[in-house]
Amino acid sequence: MKRLLLLLLPVVAVAVFSAGCDRIKERPVLRIGYMNCNNERETMERFAPLSRYLSEQVGVTFETIPVDTHEFEERFRAGEFALTHTNSLLYILLKEDAGLKLVAADKRGHYGSRTAGTLIARKGSGIETLEDIRGKRLVFGPMMAPTGYLAQYDLMLQAGIDPERDLGYYAIPAGSFKHEKLIYGVYFGDFDVAAAPALDLEEMTREGKIAADDFVILAQSQIVPYCTFGAAPDLDPVIFAKVRQALLELTPTDTVEIDGERVKVLKAAWVDGFEELLDSDYDPIREMARRVNMPPYQTY
Amino acid sequence: MPKFSQTSLLWLLMVVATAAMAALLVTASGDDPRWRTAGLDKAVERELAFQARAAFLQKVYAPVEALLAAGQAQTALLKLDELERSFSGDPHGFILRGEILRDLGVLDRAIANYVRALKLSGDYLEEASPLSRRTEIRHLVDQGLRELVPRARSNPDNRSLAATVGELHYLQSRLAGGCE
Repeated sequence: MKRLLLLLLPVVAVAVFSAGCDRIKERPVLRIGYMNCNNERETMERFAPLSRYLSEQVGVTFETIPVDTHEFEERFRAGEFALTHTNSLLYILLKEDAGLKLVAADKRGHYGSRTAGTLIARKGSGIETLEDIRGKRLVFGPMMAPTGYLAQYDLMLQAGIDPERDLGYYAIPAGSFKHEKLIYGVYFGDFDVAAAPALDLEEMTREGKIAADDFVILAQSQIVPYCTFGAAPDLDPVIFAKVRQALLELTPTDTVEIDGERVKVLKAAWVDGFEELLDSDYDPIREMARRVNMPPYQTY
Repeated sequence: MPKFSQTSLLWLLMVVATAAMAALLVTASGDDPRWRTAGLDKAVERELAFQARAAFLQKVYAPVEALLAAGQAQTALLKLDELERSFSGDPHGFILRGEILRDLGVLDRAIANYVRALKLSGDYLEEASPLSRRTEIRHLVDQGLRELVPRARSNPDNRSLAATVGELHYLQSRLAGGCE
């Protein structure tokens, strides 16, 4: 009898091990499209730990896919992503055009899950009010940036300044780190006015790159939601609920292993935490987009 | 010689020690001027430290107050970021940030900052303290109860709103005299 048991033991062990492998193989693989802020490498470094954390918490293998802003809509429509991480304007676009569902918003900086757009000038430049920017050189952030382009364009229109006619000229910097570039552009005198997100001013001040007294804030928009997690309309509701719960419960001390190193998930992602917002919280951006005639509400 | 267990001996020692302490208290209190002086010194020291802290905070955060008085709330927040590099975790920084965010209408973040400040220092709730923010906190709680609680009730599954209401109730309990 003992001999029989000894013979059966390896068979049972192999069966159990194989079943485990099958379970791993059966685990669904889903893709998260992360909007590139600067470049693919940075996106991978920031968000691969977050995808790993979500995989561990949800029991699904999530792949990190860096996506350029202008490609996002087409790739999402093609069904490439189960989850998206984009700015708030892109969230609205994907919601209106392709049924994206709101999961949670990033929290970062003074305003938590929100931030504002500002128009700044170098202190001592003689530009003290919004009215002074007529005929001046202005630098915007990327066109799809809610608080680096949209909010400031709207601020100017609301003040009776048409950026297409009333400025000397305006430009958008090329390449990566556009928000930092435009702040430095004003600091070093290449431009008179910049459309700076309040969050970037905060971060650069905290890091000692600029001082609070270096600039005059000529105008500031109302605060609006910023980076947002969304889910495809056909995502399994159980996975949706688990992802949201995992994001909301994520704390600064949570870590995952990446290439043999323990990494703090939130710190890697440059995020303080996540917050559950309501879709109506995004209405101020919708109103701005309508006034500025931007997608998804543009008319010709 | 009677035999005592170890527990009985410990009880006996405790009774003797308690009696000795009581005797010391009775004899030392009352008219002994040395005790009165020591108590007075402590009160003076405490008051001096408090006054020094209030003066120090006034000086350090004067640029923030000046920006606020000039209506430059965002620049005041940036100035706080600058100061935080030298005075990280100072409750007064959280108080000022809470005030600015409240004025800007960002109630949830204002509440979060007041909570952080009060968890670090209860001075801001003392009516007689020059640092007191009791009235401001009471107004913030009233505003939060009016605006945030109905929003949370309409969205009972929203955990972030529930967390903010939890923080609001924390401020309310501290105003009512509850301890940390």
